[in-house]
Amino acid sequence: MNISYASSIRQLKINNIRMKTKILIFLFLAITTSVFASCQFTSQGQNDPWTQQQLLAPADLAKVLNDPKAPQPLVFSIGMQAIIKGSIDIGPAMKAENLNTLKEKLNKLPKNSQIVVYCGCCPFSRCPNIRPAMELLKNMQFTNYKLLNLPQNIKVDWIDKDYPMAQ
Amino acid sequence: MRILILSVALLLFGGTISAQSTGLEPGNKSPGIMLPNTKGDTVALSSLKGKLVLIDFWATWCSPCVAEQTELAKLYNKYKQSTFTNGKGFEIYGVSLDAKKSNWENFITKNKINWIQVSDLKFWRSPVAKTYNIQALPFNILMDGNGIIIAKNLHGIDLEKRIESFLRK
Repeated sequence: MNISYASSIRQLKINNIRMKTKILIFLFLAITTSVFASCQFTSQGQNDPWTQQQLLAPADLAKVLNDPKAPQPLVFSIGMQAIIKGSIDIGPAMKAENLNTLKEKLNKLPKNSQIVVYCGCCPFSRCPNIRPAMELLKNMQFTNYKLLNLPQNIKVDWIDKDYPMAQ
Repeated sequence: MRILILSVALLLFGGTISAQSTGLEPGNKSPGIMLPNTKGDTVALSSLKGKLVLIDFWATWCSPCVAEQTELAKLYNKYKQSTFTNGKGFEIYGVSLDAKKSNWENFITKNKINWIQVSDLKFWRSPVAKTYNIQALPFNILMDGNGIIIAKNLHGIDLEKRIESFLRK
């Protein structure tokens, strides 16, 4: 009876260890996959000319744009189209002529102006416009500029959320 | 044990699954599109009834889409006269999410794209982006001669294999 009881306990312990191992393996695979998937739309790469603190959440900008009493930042569209309400259309910053237009506009502003730039054509990793614009702002020594965090695109991260749009 | 694993899996992947599921699954009718071509003439997707059709959502500002156009040209030339079990002839209905007509038109001319190209030049604000629940470009839909979706977002060899699987032998 005792031998049988001890054997059952041992079997239970073995089953318990097997179950825990299975859970750990599954969790490891699940987390690895999840991290890999999220990396597709990462907001900041190692050499990107912006810091995590310079990324502005779309919800935060939408809140400001919807509040007429809040101080409004200057919002520059440096992509294909000025979709966001009140934003200034510069055109794709990958083109020298558009980057010059942005430079001319920035030249007239105090260095501590509240500035937001956005593109939203494609995931940050592929966008050809955000880097030249952010580099320009950095080189011109502006102190209060942000990149709108649209890691996937402007449809998914702005339009689909019914945030304020230009008419 | 199984319930636990299932719960963890749902917790981890639930968001991904819900973000990708739409009414545009194979077996459903493809929503209608009526948009102008570069000359301004409206081309209805429904006018391609009877053919195997690839609806290709793309833009000149989307680098993977641009790269894919060469592949699409090969598929188009290879299959445009073919007879399929579910359609006679193969057509591509290119829908561009460009914002500037000159960019779109110049690309088509320069690359000698000879299949249907339409656009409302509304970038991501195009109503078709909403209708087709497009989350990223490139995106495509393969539909049969009756306008029924038979594949979604296949690219490269997977797309060619699927087209080939419908060839009438």
